[in-house]
Amino acid sequence: MIMKTDSGLNFLDQIVKATAFLLLIFLPLGMYYWTVNNTLALFSGGIWGVINFMFISAITKLVLSPNNSDKIKALKLGIIKFPLLYLAGYFLLSVPQFEAIYLTLGFSSLFAVLILWSLGSLLVPSNWNAKVKDSEVVT
Amino acid sequence: MDYQAMLAIGLPIGVGLAAIGSGIGLGGAVGSAMDAIGRNPEASGKIMTSMIIGAALIEALTIYALVVFFMLQGHIGS
Repeated sequence: MIMKTDSGLNFLDQIVKATAFLLLIFLPLGMYYWTVNNTLALFSGGIWGVINFMFISAITKLVLSPNNSDKIKALKLGIIKFPLLYLAGYFLLSVPQFEAIYLTLGFSSLFAVLILWSLGSLLVPSNWNAKVKDSEVVT
Repeated sequence: MDYQAMLAIGLPIGVGLAAIGSGIGLGGAVGSAMDAIGRNPEASGKIMTSMIIGAALIEALTIYALVVFFMLQGHIGS
């Protein structure tokens, strides 16, 4: 029996890609119109948050997936994630040019994208694209 | 007792409480998710999505506590 386990998990990949895209767009604009240090702090915090989310997602999928559960790989990822990411966070917080508030803002950007994406999918009906295509065919 | 001494006592206690809270929260979330996947394996994708988002939010709260710790840490010894 083949079970589909990836329904809904594409949503997480889309969130990660959208946040990374948003951060990449923000980087040159922020450096030009805002201060370089604050932009870099926000960008680094955002990348830190995205990598953290990717690790959490990968570990959870490996542990909880009913078909291809691989606990050894999950343990290896956990061993990599916790020291590496927390050390990176410590390093970012100890850089005197980076303000902690902008690092935190960048870290939270993924959650902002997540909330806006969820709000968008709640407000826009799921068959909206199909309706638009139908109306294009009729007209 | 001056505010620096209170900070020195309160900050580690605060971060510790945040870590304990997130540990309890994550444990509850993962336990419930495993229970739900065991009952309904077909819905594992949707359950995992919700769980991953919840786990990320819970961990973010601990990291916020850590950031506050680093922000206030400099005031202890000054």
